[in-house]
Amino acid sequence: MLIYAIATMGLMGLIFGALLAVASKKFAVASDERVGKVRAVLPGVNCGACGYAGCDALAEAIVAGKAALDACKAGGPRVAEKVADIMGAKLDKHPERMVALVKCVGNKDKTKYRGEYSGVPSCRAAVMAGNGPKDCLYGCLGFGDCVRACPFDAIHISPGGVAVVDADKCTACGKCVAACPRGIIELVPASHKVHVLCMNQEKGVVTRKQCTVGCIACQACVRACPKGAISVQNNVAKIDYSKCDDCALCAAKCPVKVISGRKESVEAAAS
Amino acid sequence: MDLNRYFLIFLAAFLIQNILLIRFIALCSFFGISTSVETSVGMSLAVIFVMMVSSTLTWALWNFVLEPLGIGEFLYIPSFILVIAAFVQLEELFIKKTAPALYKAMGIYLPLITTNCAVLAAATEVAKPGFIKLSVAYHYTLPEAWVYTFGVALGYSAALLVFATLRERIDIAPVPPAMKGYPIAFITASLMSLALTGFAGLFGV
Repeated sequence: MLIYAIATMGLMGLIFGALLAVASKKFAVASDERVGKVRAVLPGVNCGACGYAGCDALAEAIVAGKAALDACKAGGPRVAEKVADIMGAKLDKHPERMVALVKCVGNKDKTKYRGEYSGVPSCRAAVMAGNGPKDCLYGCLGFGDCVRACPFDAIHISPGGVAVVDADKCTACGKCVAACPRGIIELVPASHKVHVLCMNQEKGVVTRKQCTVGCIACQACVRACPKGAISVQNNVAKIDYSKCDDCALCAAKCPVKVISGRKESVEAAAS
Repeated sequence: MDLNRYFLIFLAAFLIQNILLIRFIALCSFFGISTSVETSVGMSLAVIFVMMVSSTLTWALWNFVLEPLGIGEFLYIPSFILVIAAFVQLEELFIKKTAPALYKAMGIYLPLITTNCAVLAAATEVAKPGFIKLSVAYHYTLPEAWVYTFGVALGYSAALLVFATLRERIDIAPVPPAMKGYPIAFITASLMSLALTGFAGLFGV
């Protein structure tokens, strides 16, 4: 019996070993070594902002020539340059680094609430259940859907209940933009400091009643801008970043102080 | 060929003796994988596939090698593990080459379940008579073994998917801080298990 046992296990081991050895030769997948190298320089958080299933899939697509060298949005120019080095190609243009910006600073003291929401702590749920507790239908709800969506820990809810992006950590992958049910997160050029921090499309009178830091579409910024970079559309001011030169004259003129922009001032305004 | 008997075997494996919720086998993967529905689907596919093939292999191994030689009683676990592990490795190589899409869908879960307890349990039960604590040592025929394994695998997938859906919902629910994460998951699992005990003794199975 002992002999049988030893023989059976031994034989099985031999057979399987031989089979695996043959199979690994026969079914070997020829892979381009550049795939591994490209994969190594990609961020590796599998955020999916590039449109592929993950960093592995993007690395294969880049090497196969199906994806652009700068397809990794999260990696930005730095990763794009490294990928171009590996692929032995040149980048046509250097894409500008973008960061996400939450266009609302209406914290608990500044925005009126029409009631208290005590349901599931999720922005999406709050919007479905009676459009959220705030008077303003364009304001940050502060339940942190964007915080949970961020793969880089770059967005947080301030003590005042408004989401604030940490521009140093943000890679502009766009996950928070997609997660926000109000659509008030936008990708803006990282070099620019001056932004309109409101999305309220109500008329000025209505906005004024809802929030003390809401854009009332008074046009003061439009007149103040020497470059003609600001326009008011749908009762809210909008900056054309291709024209704006960060002079901040508009911020000085804004009566509700909703145009500001230095990172510190965004945080201070939101907290 | 008694259809009724197949139906009973399937129902027993799928629901009444559900491998996760009644017998608590393979809890590690149950709690580890169920954090999102997406991963649960991949894991379920891999488990169904691997279970079916490994049960067939162990059934043949028991009936044609171990039993006739009289060495099954003490050699069944190591030899079954060997067979399943070797098969999963082979399979991984094979589908990586022939079906990259399928490999992407369940590729990373294949090595994970090489010696998954559920796979080994199902493979052992269909092969070795009397392994389950039944009053009689029942000897499965091959078709019965397939039906039983399929039932176990589907039971695993169903429990995993339902649990994953619940956990995604619990993640955003206002749970007391001390209960967040695994504690509330264990409570949920035990409640699901309690619900399934209602089926115990159905059709005398």
